[in-house]
Amino acid sequence: MSNPIKDMSTDERLHLISVSLNKRHRKEKQLKLAGLAAITLAIGFLVVLMTNIFSNGYTALLQSEVRIDINVPKAEILGADGAIDIQKSQAFNWNGLVKKSFRAGFPDVKGMSDRRMLNDLVSENAGYELRQAIEKDPSLIDQSSFWVKTSDDVDMLLKGRIKTTLPEKLRRIKDSQLVWINQLEQKNDLRKVFNTAFFTNADSREPESAGILGAIVGSAMVLMITIIIALPLAVMAAIYLEYFAPPGRLTDFIEVNINNLASVPSIVFGLLGLAIFLGFFNMPRSAPLVGGMVLALMTLPTIIIATRASIRAVPTSIRDAALGVGASRMQAALDHVLPLAAPGILTGTIIGIAQALGETAPLIMIGMVAFIVDVPTSVTDPATALPVQIFIWSDSAERAFYERSSLAIMVLLIFLISMNLLAVFLRKRFEKRW
Amino acid sequence: MTNPTKLSTHDLNVFYDEKQAINNISMAIESNKVTSFIGPSGCGKSTFLRCFNRMNDVIPACRVEGQIMMGDQNINDPKLDPVLLRARVGMVFQKPNPFPKSIFENVAYGPRIHGLVSSKSETADVVEDSLKRSGLWNEVYDRLHDPATGLSGGQQQRLCIARAIAVSPEVLLMDEPCSALDPIATTIIENLINELQERYTIIIVTHSMQQAARVSQNTAYFHLGHLIEYGATKEIFTNPADPQTEAYISGKIG
Repeated sequence: MSNPIKDMSTDERLHLISVSLNKRHRKEKQLKLAGLAAITLAIGFLVVLMTNIFSNGYTALLQSEVRIDINVPKAEILGADGAIDIQKSQAFNWNGLVKKSFRAGFPDVKGMSDRRMLNDLVSENAGYELRQAIEKDPSLIDQSSFWVKTSDDVDMLLKGRIKTTLPEKLRRIKDSQLVWINQLEQKNDLRKVFNTAFFTNADSREPESAGILGAIVGSAMVLMITIIIALPLAVMAAIYLEYFAPPGRLTDFIEVNINNLASVPSIVFGLLGLAIFLGFFNMPRSAPLVGGMVLALMTLPTIIIATRASIRAVPTSIRDAALGVGASRMQAALDHVLPLAAPGILTGTIIGIAQALGETAPLIMIGMVAFIVDVPTSVTDPATALPVQIFIWSDSAERAFYERSSLAIMVLLIFLISMNLLAVFLRKRFEKRW
Repeated sequence: MTNPTKLSTHDLNVFYDEKQAINNISMAIESNKVTSFIGPSGCGKSTFLRCFNRMNDVIPACRVEGQIMMGDQNINDPKLDPVLLRARVGMVFQKPNPFPKSIFENVAYGPRIHGLVSSKSETADVVEDSLKRSGLWNEVYDRLHDPATGLSGGQQQRLCIARAIAVSPEVLLMDEPCSALDPIATTIIENLINELQERYTIIIVTHSMQQAARVSQNTAYFHLGHLIEYGATKEIFTNPADPQTEAYISGKIG
């Protein structure tokens, strides 16, 4: 028998190899280019997306304010002891005071409709916010001029988001209002300040008072519940399946179903929550408790799969070593395998949780899409979550809500990125080499 | 009798980050002979062996300085494609590492990727001959398409040798090829090395003094990254020039 390679001369052999080498280099180059193109495309889209969100959202960090000379009538607010009487303050028409004081700056404006249009330049919540400020710091009562928020339309105009070139009919700011705004600008009575309300308030009907704190707290509560439920359950399920489950049909069946569960659309989990938790157990609607339970169900298979993978990645020699000195199976698992698998488990958990943080559909199903103006204080209070808040705002008619939904997306992304960074950090920190 | 030089190193230094693993080694390897590298663990003999087919390239922290000549080709020339080099300098590793594919595919892979075979019958011929030369043919001829991982350790290692010689390299590097095998498999592989020597230049790293004495004509003793002594195996084992070599061979250190 002849071996064609053995029978070749060295030169012949090297020639053939270098011919094939050229072909391989060409292919390698093509593969490299294709990979590079895919990455460039992905980064390109990411940049477009980020630029879009950022350019829409960064203006929401500022809020326009107007200076109004207001003389607070002390007699109607202060009690006999000179302190603020809450009951009197509650009965007092703060909004009327703000509007009246504002109109005083425009003595020429007469007639009902003009006066209403003038009123519209100031936020509907200006009176309420003034009252809050004075009740918090009574010394402000002697102040003669206050900065109050403009309405969202004025805010949009000052940020250049309303085109004055459009015909008057298509504009939310009319020509007469433009003149007044111009006058205010010339008197230096308009300014833009950092939009603290966005980070300290919950949702509101008025965009200028709408904030994201309620949604952040809601999301935090939801995730807390998710972690408390999903992490121990999933890790224990994974350990059981890896170490104790007797091999057989039942185990196979469970295994297949866990994998299937990981790919079930999230809205189905929402329906399940609606039917079981709300319908059968009569748990509170819109509550982070239920949201967390639903998301825990959703995250469970992800964490189980990640945990099993990282348990398997620990070399069997480690387990053998533990069993070899007489450790029980559980001791081998808890003392030796789990600590080595921990970084992988943590990473899987954080990725599952990050996925849960961005989940909207199941939360809508259990009613966390409601309009809620209070920051929740317990897990049974009605609340929204970050992605749901974005969904609600992006659906609103006001231009100012649109801007806020972009800013809220940025906040959500910052949370997601920091969670992923945490995952990377934990992996690096706890990784052991063997 | 000395054969012409196949490989020669000139002032070879290898560093892992700042740590020097190989110190200024210059030596010549005779062609069609078996050269064994001996020395205590961590003396750099494996690192040195891996320089001959640039396997150290894949270790990011590793830096190789100096020249290794094969003919008039400098192996360390960054312009030299390591793929071409490895088709000429094959390697067998400490632990048998067959691909998780069939026995046939394991041997056919090399000739195929290098474009050395152009038809199915040619591939079959190469596989058969390679398996015959590695002494495995009689054991596997009726199950060539079974998974290679089903073979015993010694068979797997002979399969890895068949895989390495299938492309007819000029040099065969063996890094402790028998350390994971039982004495019978070791004997088979040692006999194989003796037969292969006719066609190939073989360098073998070993921890077994007896193995070095049995299979090699030349022996090099390494210690802490230095080449202590290099010469004919008989000479080294019966009359070592360096006291360190003597201590190691007689079992006093290492």
